[in-house]
Amino acid sequence: MARMKFICDAERCIECNGCVTACKNENEVPWGVNRRRVVTINDGVIGAEKSISVACMHCSDAPCMAVCPVDCFYRTDEGVVLHDKDICIGCGYCSYACPFGAPQFPTSGLFGMRGKMDKCTFCSGGPEANGSVAEFEKYGRNRLAEGKLPICAEMCSTKALIGGDGDVIADIFRARVVKRQTNGKNAGANVFGWTTAYGKPGEAPPAPTKAPPGPQGGKS
Amino acid sequence: MKASLKLVVLVSVALGLLSACKDEEQGFKASKRPDVAPYMGANDGFMAKGWTPGNQVSWTQEINKRNQNQTEYSRIK
Repeated sequence: MARMKFICDAERCIECNGCVTACKNENEVPWGVNRRRVVTINDGVIGAEKSISVACMHCSDAPCMAVCPVDCFYRTDEGVVLHDKDICIGCGYCSYACPFGAPQFPTSGLFGMRGKMDKCTFCSGGPEANGSVAEFEKYGRNRLAEGKLPICAEMCSTKALIGGDGDVIADIFRARVVKRQTNGKNAGANVFGWTTAYGKPGEAPPAPTKAPPGPQGGKS
Repeated sequence: MKASLKLVVLVSVALGLLSACKDEEQGFKASKRPDVAPYMGANDGFMAKGWTPGNQVSWTQEINKRNQNQTEYSRIK
């Protein structure tokens, strides 16, 4: 088994936020904490508006693990980066180190006391016994131990977000890109990446395009 | 005989002195609890059918099968 990974296909993501809602519901994530969120760039620019669903990417060389002063993180044999909330001191170093803003902190009380860190677990719980009440209350559902994949990926309506064995999902994504290329569309890094988001060096950013007129008199 | 005894004593003293130079483990690893592998099953009443808890091969097959549900090119033929 290779490492568990997520890929979000920006050509398919329709910014429905279904993954965000499913994650919150499945794991009963506390108020104010979003383990997953949808990020959109180039709003209103036709052809350039892209959305991607972002959560913990379960990095192979995770910066959160590197900076944690109490070493509460661990990596499972499946390559999932998890943490032990009984060790976490809620210092927030991991949130500064993470390039995806994955670590979240529940706030409570008058002065917004920061609680223990909470993040995407790839629906694989934590160090408590698999499927136990204690595990669910601290980390959410352990779907991997139930023989399932993360709920966000499994319920994605357009299958933009795919998750699972890194080799398998890479093959799925590659097949899509090849299909697009045979249909005359750009593929790979030409579709979405650094240049789409930020333009090429010395080149003007994509100009806004006028939106076509919508239906008259109707409410959206 | 006397020379070899002297050598043993010298080596012992040197090792004794050098032992102070070693780094003691100061991490929190000892307090970290081991996690149970997902293929052992969750036993929570929500288990997917089609695999045997405790059998890593059948768990991997079930996960790979569900992986293929994410691509229309293998679902719709």
